[in-house]
Amino acid sequence: MNDVAEGEFKIVFTGPMGAGKTTAIAAISEIDPVRTEVANNDRMSHEKASTTVGFDYGRITLPGGGVVRLYGTPGQPRFRFMWSIVGRGAAGAIVLLDATQPGALVQMDLFVDAFRPLVPEGALVVGVGRTTEDGALNSDTFASRLEARGILAPVLSVDVRRKADVMLLVQTLACILETQNGNAYA
Amino acid sequence: MNAAMRPSRVPRELARKLLETLGDVVGVKTVVLFTADGFEVASHSAEVGAPARIAAIGSSLSALGSAISAEAGLADFDCTTIQSVNGTIVITRVEGPHAMSLAVVADEAVTLGQLLWAVRRCCTALAKLMNE
Ligand SMILES: Nc1nc2c(ncn2[C@@H]2O[C@H](COP(=O)(O)OP(=O)(O)OP(=O)(O)O)[C@@H](O)[C@H]2O)c(=O)[nH]1
Ligand SMILES: [Mg+2]
Repeated sequence: MNDVAEGEFKIVFTGPMGAGKTTAIAAISEIDPVRTEVANNDRMSHEKASTTVGFDYGRITLPGGGVVRLYGTPGQPRFRFMWSIVGRGAAGAIVLLDATQPGALVQMDLFVDAFRPLVPEGALVVGVGRTTEDGALNSDTFASRLEARGILAPVLSVDVRRKADVMLLVQTLACILETQNGNAYA
Repeated sequence: MNAAMRPSRVPRELARKLLETLGDVVGVKTVVLFTADGFEVASHSAEVGAPARIAAIGSSLSALGSAISAEAGLADFDCTTIQSVNGTIVITRVEGPHAMSLAVVADEAVTLGQLLWAVRRCCTALAKLMNE
């Protein structure tokens, strides 16, 4: 399971295409991340030039000395088989979303439902990006949706390009794990 | 899947004809040509397989092959061979303007050397086709 004893654990960044999983890991990793980016042919789903087809991998050391291995999944549904492979053994998951995407709430349900069974109960944090852009959904909308479904998970508004924002997501998750296990995660 | 997701200038019918030649190799069951981001471009199958899923999983393996080659300081990934008790899968990069790979699934009747040789020849022909 999780390498808690050695103060080292694994978390997974997931969410739909373009939500910013690869960007978030690059923003905080202290090592040059492992990437599996290739040219994106599906410009109708997202106009970005590249997309993740394997996984992202990075690592950070928390202020308390705990080492976190950071994994990012692919976001496109045809790579769903990678989700459980990458999710195996994770101490928690961070679901990233883009608030300007029309289907963002449905996407949240999809990824939350896919990853809740893969991580310990309650070890889930949601990060919503681009909430200040025109036509974006408010992060409260995401929180209400989770609450209505009886799912307990913090929802934070973030810019995945900013290290401090991504660190806040990781530390929020580390706090949940610490509270649950009484372990020195943080 | 939408055809617009595939690189537009790929002569798919001609590509499929080239894949068929691999089907003549003893033991070969399924041949799938796919883009680096996991879309099936053309396929040839002796039985009802799942070319679309092989394309997606094949593209992940291809990317992981590149990642571990880079990590180990080797030149870029070229070919991955997976051997199970009852078969072999070969995934090979196809040179050319479109980032594509070829996955070949064969059962235990296959001879690995013969398969690799045939795959290499098919890839060369595909690369030539893409460059035309
Ligand atoms: N303008 C703007 N761009 C953002 C913001 N948040 C993220 N981005 C951009 O959105 C893109 C996200 O791309 P990736 O990190 O590749 O997304 P991903 O989730 O890894 O996508 P897949 O691997 O394809 O599933 C990057 O180009 C970011 O710079 C934001 O708040 N504003
Ligand atoms: Mg990515």
